[in-house]
Amino acid sequence: MNNKPLILVVEDDTSVRNLITVTLKTNDYKFLTAQNGNAAIIEASSHKPDITLLDLGLPDMDGVKIIKKIRTWSNMPIIVISARSEDSDKIEALDAGADDYITKPFSVEELLARLRATQRRLSVTQTGTASSVFQNGSLSIDYAAGCAYLDGVEIHLTPMEYKLLCLLAANVGKVLTHTFITGKIWGNCLENDVASLRVFMATLRKKLESGSETQYIQTHIGIGYRMLKVE
Amino acid sequence: MTDGMQNKILQEYNSEEHILACLSSSPSNTKIIKTAAQMSKAFGGKFTALYVKTPESENMTRENRERLETNIRLAESLGAEIATVYADDIAQQIIEFVRLSKITKVVIGRSSLYVGRLFYRHTITDKLIKSSPGLDIYIIPNTEIKKNRGFYGTFSALKYPTLIQWAWMILILFLSTALGFLFRLFYFTEANTITVYMLGVLIVAIITKNYICSGVFSLASVLLFNFFFTEPQFTFKTYESGYPVTFVIMLTVSLLMGTLAYKVAASVKLSANTAYRTNIMLQANLLLQKTDSEDAVIAIMAQQLVKLLSRNIVIYRLHGNNLGMPQVFPTERGGDPDMLLSNSEINVATHLFENKEYTDINGIRIKNSACVYFSVKTNNTVFCIVGVEIGNKPIEHFECSILISILGESALAIENLRNVREKEKITLLAKNEKLRANLLRTISHDLRTPLTSISGNAETLLANYNNLDDNTRCKILKDISDDSGWLISLVENLLSVSRISEGQMNINLSAQLVDEVITEALKHVDRKAIDHEIITDFGNELLLAKMDARLISQVIINLVDNAIKYTPKGSIITVSAKPDGNHIIISVADNGNGIPDEQKKEVFRMFYTGNNSIADCRRSLGLGLSLCESIINAHQGKLTLTDNKPHGCIFSFTLEKSEVYLSEQ
Repeated sequence: MNNKPLILVVEDDTSVRNLITVTLKTNDYKFLTAQNGNAAIIEASSHKPDITLLDLGLPDMDGVKIIKKIRTWSNMPIIVISARSEDSDKIEALDAGADDYITKPFSVEELLARLRATQRRLSVTQTGTASSVFQNGSLSIDYAAGCAYLDGVEIHLTPMEYKLLCLLAANVGKVLTHTFITGKIWGNCLENDVASLRVFMATLRKKLESGSETQYIQTHIGIGYRMLKVE
Repeated sequence: MTDGMQNKILQEYNSEEHILACLSSSPSNTKIIKTAAQMSKAFGGKFTALYVKTPESENMTRENRERLETNIRLAESLGAEIATVYADDIAQQIIEFVRLSKITKVVIGRSSLYVGRLFYRHTITDKLIKSSPGLDIYIIPNTEIKKNRGFYGTFSALKYPTLIQWAWMILILFLSTALGFLFRLFYFTEANTITVYMLGVLIVAIITKNYICSGVFSLASVLLFNFFFTEPQFTFKTYESGYPVTFVIMLTVSLLMGTLAYKVAASVKLSANTAYRTNIMLQANLLLQKTDSEDAVIAIMAQQLVKLLSRNIVIYRLHGNNLGMPQVFPTERGGDPDMLLSNSEINVATHLFENKEYTDINGIRIKNSACVYFSVKTNNTVFCIVGVEIGNKPIEHFECSILISILGESALAIENLRNVREKEKITLLAKNEKLRANLLRTISHDLRTPLTSISGNAETLLANYNNLDDNTRCKILKDISDDSGWLISLVENLLSVSRISEGQMNINLSAQLVDEVITEALKHVDRKAIDHEIITDFGNELLLAKMDARLISQVIINLVDNAIKYTPKGSIITVSAKPDGNHIIISVADNGNGIPDEQKKEVFRMFYTGNNSIADCRRSLGLGLSLCESIINAHQGKLTLTDNKPHGCIFSFTLEKSEVYLSEQ
């Protein structure tokens, strides 16, 4: 049980915090709690948690500001919990460095699923040093050869699709916003770019997921895309 | 029933025809009025009589004025609405009036065609035909034709005469002298010659309209008379002792006559000037009535002021409680508008505004400021500060009073506009408030049921946990979970409703992949879907549509949820998307029992819930479809309901197709 990560729960609402901590306890996670932004930063810096669950609506500090502060010294995964349904908040948090988000109301299973996904990603980044081959389920990318394989069979990708695949692979498990992706690929973000990004993603996904049940690329409507870490 | 009443009744039932009679002081005008009245009766249309007042109208003879009044009364008694407008150019004014009042037929006198300058003879009809092609024009012939009255048109005052004026003077002088010689030939007395010179003075005064000319003519005529017609001839000497007196009297009389003629012309000019200024004010009034924005009011005000004063105008509008940036309205002759924008001028304006020193109705000027400052305000609200460049000469009193009245009119116009806007806002707010109140009432009712179940069940668990067996506990927990799930979907819908503001929905359109949005939406569909089969069909093409992804997913979720709710277990629900020209049709079809025709229209109503035996009434909010409809409408699409074959129903909606340019660079 020692490989279970330490989780920092930052949430001001008592019942939601109870819900999360009970869930974590029943699933044998170790956890710390903080009720406001300042406490969160102190806990994060003193106990070095592995994952942070951060509520965006804290009484004393804007959630995005906390993310930015934590990012100055730590690369730990941050999962944002947002009660606001507007996409712009999530996008802002993701662009500030958050890895993932959950919208209230969320189900317990969803929360646990996100934690598991983040853990998997952690294990990859901790063990995998700069390797020339990327492996995710039956998908592999040979950076040196510039080729992608599915079950050892080469997939024929256009240069743009390959670029996107590499970008997603480099950030596996992390939700990448449209702005982030178009910025990386085209260098700027125009309305047309987001639309073409959708098309390229759709074709790329068809090539990766046709004929199999495995989902590699997850779409977040209005927000962006994420490559899932497959067992 | 009198004609007037009949007309009024007809007007109410038939607004297609609108007949215009042009009023004038001419005796034959009665014929025009009667013809127009008969026409309005025959066509059953509206009848308006228009009188265009010109600056010349001020100088109308008493006879003419009385006749005009009789004509106006006649028109009124025949059921006409009387309109009086002021303009320099009658033709232009009639055309404008025709256009604004949507006149269909114009009855106009032949003499009216000659009003105005001689060269524009036929242009009224021509212009009218050109400006409104659908217009019928009836011309009533008139034997009385007015003479061209060009003589008093303009009078160049005390200016140094031009060569032409000099030439006229010399010619008339020559002719008078020649006539004098002719009289002498016939042995007429010298008194006749003197009269001829007098006549000459008058003619010179009228033709040249120049004081200097008539003065010089008077002097010259005395000298010439002395030189040519008194003994001894061809010298400036006289023998007879009475002649010097004659000369003095002659000079005085001719000077007086010249002066009188000049004064008459000058007073015509003055009244024309007055009329012009009054006209500017009335024009401002007329234009202000038609404005629909504050910008337009300010623009008209500035334009009329520049026209009135021929000075540069600077206007500072108010932004909240601060003075905005100045805007200069220069005259045509240019000048130096930059001077009005100098820092010191802006400081003066700001100072006046901040110290509320704009109360003086006659304007305020500080030290050596380039402008006199006026305020456009109603009782307690200031709308803007107007600066009038002062230059070397102060503003005339008459100009000033007109200036103030234009400012007052503009202030009223702005206030009116603001009041109207305020009222519209309040109405809209009330409408939205009503919608929200309705919504809240229904929702709070619908919220109570699941909340009662959740809180009650939770309390039961807390109090009697140990007394309940596992099965009961499980059942209670499942109820809590189900009810909270239902609450969650209700809240999702409410969030969409909250985006309806000011009667409109705020949508963020972007090109989205249709299958992506549908797939995503189906993930949120009610968990009860296990009992139903959901099939998707997107074809092979990648379809992109312009939409607000969040709202459209809400529509799909609601439609599919409805299909699940209102169809028996085991039904098949098909969600499909296919292109159709410039649009994409997305439809949700089921093979349930369908919706009876008489209920088809009802389902889109807010809070409607059908008497369907399958649906659990408590859980159908009746908000879903009406919300879907407003979302689709906001996308310029249409949500339709048709029958599925062999049974069931299809809800489909259209979205605009979007093309994307793909670059592999």
